[in-house]
Amino acid sequence: MTIRLHPRKIPLYSVLIGLTILWLLPVASSFLVSFKSSEDFVSQTWADLPTKFYFFTNLATVLREYRLQDNLASSFLYAAVGTAVVIVAASMAGFSIVRLRPKFNFLLFLVIYSGTLFPFQMYLIPVYRLFNTLGLYDTRGGMVLIYSAICIPFSLFVYRGFYTTIPREIEEAAKLDGCGPVRSFVSVFLPQSLPPTAVVALFQATWIWNDLLFGMVLSRAQNIRPIMVAVATMTGYGGGNIPWIMTAVIFTSIPTILLFIFLRRFFIKGMEMSITT
Amino acid sequence: MQNLYYSFFNWNGLGTPIFNGLKNYVTMFTDRVIGRSMLNTVIWVVFTLALPAAGGLLVAVFVTGVRGAGFFKSIFFTPLTISFVATGVIWAYMFSRELGVFNGLFAMAGLQWKPSWLTDVPQNTFAMIIAWTWQQLGSNMVMFLMGLGTIPRDPIEACLIDGASAWQTFVHVKLPMLRPITTVVITMAMVNSFKVFDIIWVMTRGGPYSSSETLAVSMFRETFTLFHMGYGAAISVILSAIVIVISAAYIRRMTKRDLLYY
Repeated sequence: MTIRLHPRKIPLYSVLIGLTILWLLPVASSFLVSFKSSEDFVSQTWADLPTKFYFFTNLATVLREYRLQDNLASSFLYAAVGTAVVIVAASMAGFSIVRLRPKFNFLLFLVIYSGTLFPFQMYLIPVYRLFNTLGLYDTRGGMVLIYSAICIPFSLFVYRGFYTTIPREIEEAAKLDGCGPVRSFVSVFLPQSLPPTAVVALFQATWIWNDLLFGMVLSRAQNIRPIMVAVATMTGYGGGNIPWIMTAVIFTSIPTILLFIFLRRFFIKGMEMSITT
Repeated sequence: MQNLYYSFFNWNGLGTPIFNGLKNYVTMFTDRVIGRSMLNTVIWVVFTLALPAAGGLLVAVFVTGVRGAGFFKSIFFTPLTISFVATGVIWAYMFSRELGVFNGLFAMAGLQWKPSWLTDVPQNTFAMIIAWTWQQLGSNMVMFLMGLGTIPRDPIEACLIDGASAWQTFVHVKLPMLRPITTVVITMAMVNSFKVFDIIWVMTRGGPYSSSETLAVSMFRETFTLFHMGYGAAISVILSAIVIVISAAYIRRMTKRDLLYY
């Protein structure tokens, strides 16, 4: 059948290849820009090769001028601690919703889940106000707290979805052997939790790293602001120095791209888990 | 809830909120900036359905059964790992008037055409929708691919044997069978397009003169740069109400399925 259909697949391939070029063009041209010096960038057209490889010079300038390393350190902290908190909280919550079956567990779940659908704009002002009252505004602790809180709905959803697939018989067997809920969670559910944990870690660490809105609203000091806020600030109204910004963009995208490459398998699985339960 | 409460006040974030009833809402419907912002939001929603959502379906269908499918798939979904900020910066450069890639390509092709993509209305909104499409198409593609993967082979083969064309098979067999996934994709695409903030902020700051703002951006500007907290809250109430209405059908469907489970 493949052979018979072959001539008919030519338009199909051309569409795909056309789109691929359109998808790669921004990537390729961004890299090219980050390799150029500011002088080259202004005097050349977009497709010209740089006269000198300037990427590392640009990077050094960016780090010196904008002190991005401060923001990078903060974002690493937020992503690591935030994700860890979420994993602990969401796995336990997912377990209790699925297996301990509290009353109104579905309603409870729905309320939490709606957190992933509804726009952040809805609670931006109350959170801002709350943070000001509690003295959490512009503190590292506050940022970790808000990021964990925002990531919990999705993570809970993933854990819950996964725990419903663990056969009830296994848990009942554990119960017969004298396991309480805590023991059963620790020795039956946790050892099997690698897939959802990887999904949660991948998605939430990426999300925290890439966030702009909450960083902008809830922090102000250079050493507290997360990395994407710093990059967005570099663009300014006039567009800024494009080779520098592009270098910063590429440099700060490396962690999430690496995470994606190493956990690619779980990326697809996460997409599945996020729409099917 | 607290947000709803603030929306009835005139409040600058520091002093005591002054109650002014529905005044914020009345102002909103006569505010021309918000009018433009609502129009832009509608444009965003419509074209998000047309480009990343429908485009995702197209690519998913095209990519199945093609040699090198894995390669094409990773091309389309790698942008998902890049932040909206990075996407915005990259595409702001692509569309920049003097040094940008698109205008550079037009010049190479010998065209005199040199549009100012990001400063003219409504091109700026469309330019940003293209950036959004570049980033988001992959997630819709993955969802449609999962949907296509669950369709059994038999009915499709039966159709082909009966002499149906590939197009007929697609419209009459595959598309109806994809409906659950399509609902999810459409809902998510609409909900997400209401929430778009980062890309607009990075590419145009909502400007020039608020001409490319959507409700999400207007809300942010009113609240956190002008400190019209009550007014910003009112905008976010409207925004949230729309999103809740749109996602209601989806949540109801999920609820039904989950009740079966419990």
